[in-house]
This record gives sequence, structure tokens and C-alpha cells, in this order.
Amino acid sequence: MEKFTLEIIQDALVAAGDEMFQTLQRTSMSPIIYESLDYAVGITDAKGELLAQGNGVTAFLAALDSVVRDTLKKYEGDNTLKQGDVIIANTPYAGGGTHLSDVSVIYPVFYQNELVAFTVNKAHWTELGGTFPGSVSTVSTEIYQEGLHFPFIKIKSEGVLNTAIIDIIRANVRLPDSTLGDLFAGIAAAEVGANRVCAIIEKYGLNTFKTATVDFLEYGERMCIEALKEIPNGTYEGTAEIEDNGFGEGPFPIKAKITVTDTEFIADFNGSHPQVKGATNLSYSGLVTGCRSLFKAITTPRMDANGGAFRPMTVLCEPGTIVSAETPSAVSVYYEVLITAIDLVWKILAPMIPDKLPAGHLRSVCATFISGMHPDTNQFYIQAEPLAGGWGASATHDGNRGQLSCGSGESYNIPIEIREMRYGIEVEQYAFHNEGGGYGEYQGGNGQYVDYKIISDGAFVTGAFLGEKTKTWGMNGGHDGSNNYFMIIRKDGSQERHSLGTNIELEKGDVVRCVTATGGGYGNPKNRPKDQVQLDVKNGYITKNEAKKFYNV
Amino acid sequence: MRVATDIGGTFTDLVCLEFDKKTGKPIGVKVGKSDTTPSNFEEGILNTIEKAAINLKEIEFFAHGTTVVINALTERKGAKTALITTKGFRDVLEIARCNRPDLFNFNFVKQAPFVPRFLRFEVEERMSYKGEVLKNLNTSTLKSIIKTCEEEKVEAIAICLLHAYINPEHEIALVKEIANLNTGIEVISSYEVTREWREYERTSSTVLSAYVLPIAKKYLNNLQKKLKTRGLKEAPYIMQSNGGITTLNDVKGNPITMVESGPASGVFGAIALGKVLDKKDLIVLDIGGTTAKCALVENGQVKITTNYKIEHSRTEAGYPIQTPVIEIVEIGNGGGSIAWVDKGGKMHVGPKSAGAMPGPAAYGRGGKNLTTTDANIITGRIHPDYFLGGAVKPDLKSIEKASFSLCKELNGSKEDIAKGVLRIANANMINALKLISVNKGHDPRDFTMMVIGGGGAMHGADLARELQVKELIVPQNAGVFSAFGMLMSDIRRDYIRTSVITLSEASSKVLVTNFDDMKNEALTNFKVDNYKKEQVTFTYYGDLRYMGQEHYVKVKLEAITGVHFIKDIITQFHREHKRQFTFELDAPVELVNYHLVAEVEVDKPDFPKTKNSGKKIADAIFDVREVDYDDLGKHQTSFYHRHLLEPNMTFKGPAIIAENATTTVVTPNHKVYVDEYGNLILTSIN
Repeated sequence: MEKFTLEIIQDALVAAGDEMFQTLQRTSMSPIIYESLDYAVGITDAKGELLAQGNGVTAFLAALDSVVRDTLKKYEGDNTLKQGDVIIANTPYAGGGTHLSDVSVIYPVFYQNELVAFTVNKAHWTELGGTFPGSVSTVSTEIYQEGLHFPFIKIKSEGVLNTAIIDIIRANVRLPDSTLGDLFAGIAAAEVGANRVCAIIEKYGLNTFKTATVDFLEYGERMCIEALKEIPNGTYEGTAEIEDNGFGEGPFPIKAKITVTDTEFIADFNGSHPQVKGATNLSYSGLVTGCRSLFKAITTPRMDANGGAFRPMTVLCEPGTIVSAETPSAVSVYYEVLITAIDLVWKILAPMIPDKLPAGHLRSVCATFISGMHPDTNQFYIQAEPLAGGWGASATHDGNRGQLSCGSGESYNIPIEIREMRYGIEVEQYAFHNEGGGYGEYQGGNGQYVDYKIISDGAFVTGAFLGEKTKTWGMNGGHDGSNNYFMIIRKDGSQERHSLGTNIELEKGDVVRCVTATGGGYGNPKNRPKDQVQLDVKNGYITKNEAKKFYNV
Repeated sequence: MRVATDIGGTFTDLVCLEFDKKTGKPIGVKVGKSDTTPSNFEEGILNTIEKAAINLKEIEFFAHGTTVVINALTERKGAKTALITTKGFRDVLEIARCNRPDLFNFNFVKQAPFVPRFLRFEVEERMSYKGEVLKNLNTSTLKSIIKTCEEEKVEAIAICLLHAYINPEHEIALVKEIANLNTGIEVISSYEVTREWREYERTSSTVLSAYVLPIAKKYLNNLQKKLKTRGLKEAPYIMQSNGGITTLNDVKGNPITMVESGPASGVFGAIALGKVLDKKDLIVLDIGGTTAKCALVENGQVKITTNYKIEHSRTEAGYPIQTPVIEIVEIGNGGGSIAWVDKGGKMHVGPKSAGAMPGPAAYGRGGKNLTTTDANIITGRIHPDYFLGGAVKPDLKSIEKASFSLCKELNGSKEDIAKGVLRIANANMINALKLISVNKGHDPRDFTMMVIGGGGAMHGADLARELQVKELIVPQNAGVFSAFGMLMSDIRRDYIRTSVITLSEASSKVLVTNFDDMKNEALTNFKVDNYKKEQVTFTYYGDLRYMGQEHYVKVKLEAITGVHFIKDIITQFHREHKRQFTFELDAPVELVNYHLVAEVEVDKPDFPKTKNSGKKIADAIFDVREVDYDDLGKHQTSFYHRHLLEPNMTFKGPAIIAENATTTVVTPNHKVYVDEYGNLILTSIN
């Protein structure tokens, strides 16, 4: 039966995706790639329809197919792509763009002189220049302050590396070896994928390959529509807020109206606040990526991603809002807006589908960038990472503790033992906290403290912790959780609490305490079994006082 | 007489080699099998020995592999365990690596830690990443910690302090202090388990080793005692996950090294046979009831990794164990794997398995799902007389029933579905085989494939064809190959230390000094078991990377002396990196982990040869039936008794060779040669 052959081709494409994923992870030079796995790899057909995708993070779901389509728009007619060309792009406002730090490598795959597919990856490079280390700033006001911009340019033409671009990159970034290492890792991963695609075509023939790709996309659509039927039809609305734009202004509302039918899912963000001064803006293509990840979570979470599975979803938003920002608005903290948008749709839909969506989680990447000179090696370092916190409880279980936000996925924390060697920072504690909240029949997961002691003068911290004022949300009678924020504890004992902060100067002996939220609770706390509450106290997840006050135990 | 026993999930296997007293040559092999007895594993071994009528007094070498460790872990039957760690870090074990492998499942449930928070204790102390004391160890709270442990009936304590991999001084002091308190609780410290960095992985490894420590010790002590009372002279050797055996004393100190001993010995059996046949580049495939495991052997060596996790999958983070384990890829595809159709109309095979109960539909034990085994029966590839070792006839009615819904959903005949199941199952296995070969820069055409386990020979020919492997070997006794491997293993201990240096001529001294330190430690350990310095051989590996990278490539260091050895190492790393990842960089190279392998060669027997009694090929044929070879068509096929095949026989496919433990499918594109050891060698006709 032909049918089984098609399925085998599809699985082989997924396997090729896995392989590209590993290649990038194992060869990259940025901890954000090899630990946080802040990247995605994929294969599209010759027109940019997504055939297979390997993700480390949930974002980027709209990134790979869109970036191929916009590449094709630029390279058409006389200027068409040739074998051996490799394109790089990081435009935030087009092609599935997010912020400049996320760079796509697009690799056209030719078989017997015919363009048959693309292999593509998009990864967060630690350094791309710009005003501040790590190319992230909460106080930039224009894209020009946020680093190098590659508007769909050929890094390789017919197999020849464009060394002029390499020289420009080298001259404009703070960690050139790392940045270029990531570039080569991206090209290598795409090349590995391209070889596999050619091998598949070689084995099964081009026509069968093409049939398989069409069949696969239709299969994705069928799977998605089956799942969509399980979500109650209706129109649902809600509002969320971006608390601060980094200049003490805000809050700025984001509005969403969700319409669900048996065959369609429409997310309408019209009416959201206009794009703002500062870097807390999300482009429309970033918004689509965010919506796709939530959509996938409630429809086909376990299926290998493909373009067909997103056909039933539409995202509406007029241009120029905080979730559809246009050039030249700054976007380097886009991810906080993205997660807020995901969290908004999540909160709107959760009561209808509690088996798929728990109560509110930490809702922030809680990204910190600490830069300085390593006291032993005198080398410049940038420690950039997302932080874990508490997740919301659900109808069936307590919230998870020690888990990165929904924007991350197969992402890892940086081990203390590696961190201390590489960055010359000392970690004083890495522990769950008791800042309260999340009470319910099922208890929200505890947030945590991470204390970084700075051990050389002249270090700086940049952080973006939205949720400093808004607590994580509880559900069906469960209590809200707690807040995200970071605190500078100076040598003299004085303390400064921050939500967004850029390049705050630190001295030797200062401590940066990162605090992530406890997740929301689910259900009435009175229904929590007494022995479970007692065990929570014994384990120190809640205090004796909390047990008495909220659980009557 | 040399004996090896291997406890598996379902069966306990035994292999016994007897020798001619004068020539020292092996004269025969005895093979035994009996049911595994999970509540009391050592009984299973004694049963098997009794069944095979072996006199323990005559045994001069006894090797043993056991699932006692992995069972205790997966069934959560280990000891109540506590953890002592550095102040501020007791939650490291629970925070783990913060990942959510089931990316889009927002209702994900994280796996629970093996030690609950109230049994995770902290002591004041702190090392720097350089191994310097930042804060002295304060043991004033230790008494109350131990008291709490005793009240909570804790049976084992794991100690893991920050940066102890580089300086274990504080851990050593803690162990001593606890010993002074005369508690009956077992204690194990991270430096005894792993000397690689990454605090979560170290903590997890130490906790899991503590968790199995009491049960493993008890088991090994009982086994030793019972074997001794029945006359065994020398203490048994124990199989480890690194593919080597070790002494009983050694494994009692850190039992977690046994965690993957079964699969490891199967691969080592393959390597040993490969050496005899002068086949040093092998792809080894072991297909069982639930899973298929594969490993790549290059120049007689299989890679060892410490990046091992239990209960890890595409949707679960798993629990890391930093112990040397041979690099195996395992997928949920075996004889019992179930075929099913999803909502989008796509058929999948596995990872769910019908197991032994109810088993495939053909078992007739109530299995309602079509499995890979059933598909092999539908296509005629398994002879009814040889099904389940000839014990029962396949239940064709039950197969018919099981295939009914699939036929309806996919609008095909039973035969179409069966071929689809086999194609998908084979494709799954091909993807796994590519993971270890093509994806690592190896061309399968340069390798010989060796298939073991009950299902290996059923699928081997199809897989070899797809991968264009030129030669496929189905060894004699493929069904008990793990036990066989133990007789062929040497005593092996792996020492791995993290200590990062940039490779240059200037750093060559540091490199040599570090290896020397490790060698001394190895020799000291071997001395405890009365091995002499001269008996120990060393092999050196380095985990290398470009400066700035995190992950590394393991490279065998051919020499650590001479003028240019650093340069040679660097050149070799560039080559390896390019092979695996398609590029090399003009960047400094770092050595992250020192890896020393210390081995004591064990006197190993020759492989027993099969005698030629002059039988004819035709005598081995017992039936002719139609078999469906999918794209190669349906063919009238001769069925052969394997036990009647003799050395130097050769014949062309299509053919089916049946034996009790497995069936070998020879496609119309293959021919067979029986070698002097009774192995079947399949090669492509073209």
C-alpha cells in the first residue's frame, strides 16, 4: 500500500528534523542555545509549507514557514535562489520575526537542479551588538539600538561564504567567536537536514515525496479539526496588561476575543493598546507564533508539528499595536509580551478545558543578563538565561515546581557548577520560597529564589520580570499565586526591587536575588485533604500559619 | 567449566562452556532458560543451574548479570532514602533541569524526586569551582539530622555537596562523622559514584545509587552465600553497564553501575564474536518483546557515555545517572508492539506493547490488538510448528479478529495491513539504526550487522537491505547472547573526572599528571581485590570541545607521551568533529573530562565450533510454504531446521530458518552461508 510509504516518508522527515536539532545543540557556542534550547529547526516544502519542526521552545512555531515564504518573496524572478545559497534573516516585523537576537538560517534544498524543499533554523544568539550586552534592553526606543539587522541576506552565494558579512559581524558584536560559532552551527544543522531530505527523495522518488508532503499537511489539518471539536463552540473575551514599558509608564491593555467553531479558531486582538515607547512590543508575526503555541497545546500537543495543523487558526490585529508593532519600534523584550498574550488566551479558555489548561503559571521568562569581567580569567562574560518558577495547579494535580515558563520547553537551567566556572558568579541559594499564594484543592507550585553574588567589580544586570504587580491567577476557587521580581541586595544591606531594569551597575559583594512566582491554585482550599496539607507543612511547601489560615489545618 | 547467568525481565538465561581438560579447548555449550523470579531473584539462578545439571564445584569462572537494580528503580522498591547537601541547595534535586520535554502539554506533570523535601538536609560548607574551601564544613547539625533519619526509618543516605567532583574533602569528612555516630543506615557519597560536574546529575546519580544500595547489597550477599554453600569456589564476577565485569566487592560499593548490565553484555558478546570472525565494525541490533536496542561498534570498541537517564522519553525528562553505560539507542518497537490508527487515519506501531500477558493476538491469551509478531505470522514468516518454541499453535482466529478494525479503518486486506505493520516497524527501527550510524557520520555500508534477541533475525534481512549493509550475521545462540557476552568480558573500571583545560603544548604536563593520579587510584582499587599492577592495562579517552561549546566529543587518545601527542589529539578532534557535525573550527580546543579505562584481562575461552557430520542441506528442510516478502513478492519458500544446518552449507533465499528461540528470514535477495561456529551469514545476492 502506497499509504504506508507516505507515512514512512513523513516519519523520516521528522527524524531528519531531530537530527538537525541535535546538531545545532551540540555545536553551538551560546548557552541560550545549548542549555535553554532557545531555537527551532524545520523542513518546509518548496513553497514554505511546514513539513516537520523540532522545537526546544514553544515559541517559533510560526517562525520557520513564514521566514521561508518571505525569503521566496525577496528572491524571485531574475533574482531566484540557486543551489548553495544560504540566507540569514532576523527582521522582527516579517517572516515570523521576534527580536533581532533570533536569527534564522534558511537553506534551499535542490534535487537535480529543482528547488524541492527548505531546511531552516532559528536560534537565539547571545550577542548581536547594540547598546547593551546580550542585545536586550528594557530602555531601547528604536530597533537601531538593539543590534545588527540581517534583512534576508545571502551569507553564502552558490556555496561561497560572504566574508564581508563575517567581518561586519566580527566588528560589531561583543562575543564574536560565540556569535560566529552559532552562525556556523546553524548552517551545519541546515546542511545535515538538506542531505537527509535529498536521501529521502533519492530513495522514494521526487513524485512520491511530493505526494507524501501534501498528504502529511492534510493529515495535520484533519487531526487538528478532530481536536477542535472537543472545545465548546462560542466567543470568549478577556483583557491582560503589560504593567510597565521600562520607563515607569503603564499599564497597557491587551485585548483578545476568541471565537471557536468546529472548524475554525479565530483570535482577534483588535483594540489592544498602540505600540509603546520601549522594548515591550511584539510584532504581528511574533503574535502569530504565540497563538500557534497555545493553539497547539489545546489541539494537537503530541503530534509532530506541521503547517496543516495550523490551517484552522486565524489571528486578527490591526497594525501598530503593542502586539502588532511596526518598524522602527524596539522589540527586544518581545517575549514578555508574547507570554502575556499566550497567558491571556489561556486564561480565557481554561475554564472550558481544564483537562488541557491548568491555572496561571509564572507568566514570565524572568530573563536576566549579567555581564562583567571574570575575576580569574579577566574575560568579558554575559550570563543570559531564563528562570524557572511555579506552575498553576489543575483539576488533577498540584502545580509543578521548578519549571520554566510556557515560552520555554525542552530548555534547561544552567548548572551552578558550570555557571560558577564560566561566569565568576557565586550562587548563594537555589531554593523554593514561601512567598505565599496558590492555595486550593490543588496547590500551585512554589516559586523560587536564586541568589547571585557578584564577585568582581563593574558588573551589570539587565532583567525583565513582568508580574511584579500582577499575581499568577487561580482557577475555579483556587487562590492567586505570587509575584515575579528581582532584588538587588547591596553590600550595605540596602535593597532595591525591580520589574524591568537595564544595565544596573553592581559591585563586588552585591547580591542579585531573582524571585519567580508561585503558580495559581485550583479549586476550593477547603477540599484539600488534611493529611496532604500536613505533609505540605512537613515539606515546607507551605508554612504552619498558611495551613491554619487558608486550609484550617 | 565457565558459567554465565543473566537475569532478564522474563527469563533467566544460562550459558555454560565445558572444556577438554587436556587441550583446554571448548568441547560444548550448555544453554539453559527458566522463568525469572522477581520476588527472589537468586532462586531463579539456582533453579537454572539445577535444571542444567551443573555442579558448582567444577566451575572455575562464574559471571552474573542482574536486573535487580533497574527493577528496584522502575518499580520504586528501593530503600527509603535521605539526602545531605550544601546549605541553600536542597531543592536542586527537585528543581532538576526545569525542562518540559512534552513541550505543548501545558498540563504536564513533572516526575517526582526520589527523596521528599523533608528528608533533604543541608549542612554549612562551600567549595569554589576551583575546589578551594570558601566555607569550612560545620557538622554540628549532623547528629540531629541522623536522629531525624532514624526516626523516619531512613535506610540509606546520599551525600552530594557542591563542587565535590573537584574536591571531595568535605564529603569524605561527612562520611567519617556519620560512621562515628554508629548508625545502621547505609551511606554513599557523590565522589564514590561520579566525578563529573553538574550538580543535579551528580545528586540524582548519588540518590539513585543510595536508593538501590541496601537491596543490591542484600541480594549480592545472599547470592554469594548460597553459591558458596553449594560449592562455588571463587566469588562470582558481576556484569556492569560499561560492558565489563567486576568483583563483587567493587560493585557493592556503588551498585548503580549494574543498571544496564543486560544490554551491555549482549553488545559485548557481539564484539567478542566479531573479533573471532575478524569483523570489528558492527551494527548490533537486539529486538525483544517490547523494545529494540541498537549499538554501533567501531574497530572493536563501543562508545561509553555517562549521559544516561532512566524513565526518559520524548515526553518525560527522566532521572539522570552519571555512570558509564555503553551507548545504546532503544526504541519502543518489539515483537509485541501494537499497531493502531490515530484520529487522522495514520497507522502507528508501538510504543505500546502487548507484553507477555496477554501478548500478541496469536498467543490466544485474549490479546485483542494486532502486533508485529502477528504481522509476521500473517505474511507466513513464522512457521506454526515453531511458534513460541513449538509450545502452541498460533491462534489464527484471534489474529483475524484483531486485524478486523484496522482493515476497516484503512480499507485494506489483512495481508495489506500486515505488510504495512512490518514496513512501519522496520522504518522505526531504521530511524533508530540511523541515529547510531548515519547521524554520527558513519556509513552503514562499512559495517556488518549482527542481530540478536528473539526478533532480531526476523527483521534483520529487511533492515540490512534498506541500510545497504553487505553482511548480516545471526549468531548461534542468539537468544541467550547476553549471558554469552559475560563469558567474553574483561574486568573493567571506568574513571571519569571533570577538569577543564585548554589543550596546548604547555598543558601536556597537567594532562599527564591528572591521568597519572587516576591511574594510581585505579591501581589502589585493584589492589584491594588482589590484582597486580602488571595485570592492569590502561586506555585513555578525552571529552573534547571547541572553547565556547558546551557539549563535547569523546576521542580516544592514542598516546599521552611523546613529542607531538597534544598536536595529534587536537588533529584527531578536528577530524571527529567534522565527521559528526560537518564542520571544524579554527578555535582553541578544551579537554573537559578525563576518561581512563582500566582493564584486567580475563582468560577467555575460544568460541565453540560446530561439528560437521556430513548431513545434506535437503535433510534440514521440513516444509515448503508460501511466504509474503512484501515488495519482493510472494514466493514458495523452503523452511529449514536450524539445528540440522552444518558448517559450510550455503543456499539461496527465499528461505526461512527456524529454531526454538527465533526465526531467520532470508529474503529472495539474500543467500546464506553457515560458518564453522554455526553462525548464519546472510549476504546480498547482487
